[in-house]
Amino acid sequence: MPKLVIDTIELEVPAGTLILEAARSVGIMIPHFCYHPALGNAGACRVCAVKLIDGPVKGIQMSCMTPVQEGMVVSTTDADAVAMRRHVIEWLMINHPHDCPVCDEGGECLLQDYTIAAGHGTRRYQGKKRTHSNQYLGEHVQHEMNRCIQCYRCVRFYQDFAGGTDLGVMGRASTIYYGRFCEGSLESPFSGNLPDLCPTGVYTDKAARFRARYWDYDMAPSLCPHCSLGCATIPAARYRELLKIMARRNDAVNGWFLCDRGRFADHGVNSPERPRTPLLDGRETTWDEALAVLATRIGELFVSHGPGSLAVVGSPRLTLEGNYQAALLAEFLQAGALCYFVERDEAAAASAVVSLLTGDTAVSLAEVEQADCIALVECDLREQGPMLLLAVRQAWRKGAKIFLVGEGSPREQTDSVSLETLRVPTLADIPLADYSTPLVIATPSGSGTADIETAVTAGAKLVFPLSGPNTFAAALLTREHRATSLAEALASGTIKGLLAFEADLPEELLSGISLLAVADRFPSAAMIKSDVFLPTTAWVEMDGTFINHEGRAQRFRKVMNPGLPIKGLDPALHPPRVHRLDAPGGEPRPAWRIIADLAERLGAEQLVEPLSGRWEFLRDLDPEGEGERIL
Amino acid sequence: MIPESLKNELKARVAAALTNREAAVDVMKELQSHCGWLSDEAVVAAAEILGLSTLQVEELATFYELIYRRPVGKRVIHVCDSISCWSCGCDAILAYLRQNLGVEPGGTSADGCFTLVPCACLGNCGEGPTMMIGDTLYGRLTEERVAEILEAERKALASSNSSN
Repeated sequence: MPKLVIDTIELEVPAGTLILEAARSVGIMIPHFCYHPALGNAGACRVCAVKLIDGPVKGIQMSCMTPVQEGMVVSTTDADAVAMRRHVIEWLMINHPHDCPVCDEGGECLLQDYTIAAGHGTRRYQGKKRTHSNQYLGEHVQHEMNRCIQCYRCVRFYQDFAGGTDLGVMGRASTIYYGRFCEGSLESPFSGNLPDLCPTGVYTDKAARFRARYWDYDMAPSLCPHCSLGCATIPAARYRELLKIMARRNDAVNGWFLCDRGRFADHGVNSPERPRTPLLDGRETTWDEALAVLATRIGELFVSHGPGSLAVVGSPRLTLEGNYQAALLAEFLQAGALCYFVERDEAAAASAVVSLLTGDTAVSLAEVEQADCIALVECDLREQGPMLLLAVRQAWRKGAKIFLVGEGSPREQTDSVSLETLRVPTLADIPLADYSTPLVIATPSGSGTADIETAVTAGAKLVFPLSGPNTFAAALLTREHRATSLAEALASGTIKGLLAFEADLPEELLSGISLLAVADRFPSAAMIKSDVFLPTTAWVEMDGTFINHEGRAQRFRKVMNPGLPIKGLDPALHPPRVHRLDAPGGEPRPAWRIIADLAERLGAEQLVEPLSGRWEFLRDLDPEGEGERIL
Repeated sequence: MIPESLKNELKARVAAALTNREAAVDVMKELQSHCGWLSDEAVVAAAEILGLSTLQVEELATFYELIYRRPVGKRVIHVCDSISCWSCGCDAILAYLRQNLGVEPGGTSADGCFTLVPCACLGNCGEGPTMMIGDTLYGRLTEERVAEILEAERKALASSNSSN
């Protein structure tokens, strides 16, 4: 490994490491725009200049384009290098508008930071700035081409990394333009990464435009709740409103990026229809009354039908804390049934997944990128886990063969990331044993896993995109606590009472139920039918744990307090003449807390820590780490 | 309208190329010579022929100086204004062309004969100032020489018109 010196620090790094990366490894941050760890270098921005004082190469060099060599002596502080970087910044600012005060990127803009760092404050160039027209790029991404500094990050991500074909770079020299052939919505399912990637304000998040500055955001490390992959996110909120969701780096899972569903899909957090107050027989009430009445009615149910008539229902979208507390509540009450899945097939499929996935067969998204053969079996990843498609594309870029198996695997999914694929009728038609790291991505199924077991024998790893962010935990708890599906539990006819926590209850299943208690953050038909309704917090309003598709437990932190967004409140009613300590609409509570409070009213001990016993080892999970594989 | 016969001929060329992108410049130039310039319709046709998106064709089309994405006159005059030609007096040549043709850079003369396009380097630095009309490169230009060349080009255009 080459040895070199950077700013008097001696270091030894693997051959092929770039000077910029070597410097970062010893804590020296060299400014850069075009270089990005996930996209590599382009040598386009010229701002990472350093001076090589001694060794095989000498003089000013771009640190992102120069691999380390034995004996190099690098200075980042040399007067020539500093002057070069200062001049590059001044040159980039020749055409960049001085619109920071009205630019949404202001405060989270790399160009702004480096311009100030370089000390450029007075304009010397007297010519006109070049200007461009902007394009409409859809509902989510705002375009402002005048701010562009030609780093090529957007097009390198969009076309090379994500296989998009409708955004690129046109023209040359001073006419360079990043955009589409004609105006229209960006087609890539990963277009929302452009605002994250752009080092300045060419692409910004449209929904959050002009809403808040970076330093005003409520932010915390969080996770995406829209599928089972468990991508790391940073939700940003202000004035009790979730404004936008940014990707957070997790090298084991999503890398640096996030899909558009995770970023832009309706999350319901700010929704005016969201239930925020406990309801008793349809009328608003207090937590105290709702829980007291619920406890009384459970007692009455037990007197008339016995504890076997009660079912406690968790769900694949409820946190591990909530689902585990649901199991403890069912045990404490000796309830007739504990359910995590509604349909029989869903439960069977999830239980097949937890039996097929082991420490040997389960792989992370990062490991998907290392596969040399990937079979997509009866799945459409655009729906089931878009970030898997991005990982499959990275494997394909490294030479992996991609197979589409079965009629349930549409070609449009791989077309959306521009992949070449081969279609085969069955999994058995792929010579998996000929590859060194084969991988099968399949829709979970409760019946007929024989072909997948054969593939495992041939050395294949497995990925099952699951239905919800915590389906894996729900499946594990189903096995460990002998839970059944709700459909099966109700079929017996003995269940008369339901305590449902963030479960999607089909209306037709509720006909024979005499006591229905629903805790959720979404309005539903079950909410309207319920005897007692308890509003729960969204994932951004609480700490919690999800276990993703590969059995990786990850912690997410509370981003914001629940409450009615200030935007949208009727100004005529402002200020609200109600004396209170909590925010209006701030009543929702975490589901696990509701379960614990109810259990306490029914005679259980007071709960302090929701993860205990089997799950105690996850209490100190680092929300900013890579999570912990529990397989 | 781009005839199907031309599209099919170009598709055969693309099929014979190692990669479709390799044939892109060829396809664009053929479509341009058919239409006079690379119209939006021609970009769409090129994308279909090449199996690329319209944006990917546009990226290539707008990179190359000799692909015209706007209507041009019958002859396009590329005048080098890069450093060698500038030091040899290209400004005077450009000024003369503007005055002779009655157009600003980028414009087309009223008779539709000439479009004037300044460009950065024609690879003829030893012979500056220099310009290119069609496939012909002219070096060591003076105002008199430019006048002669324009006269010759006008005559050639007139005779090709009358012969049509």
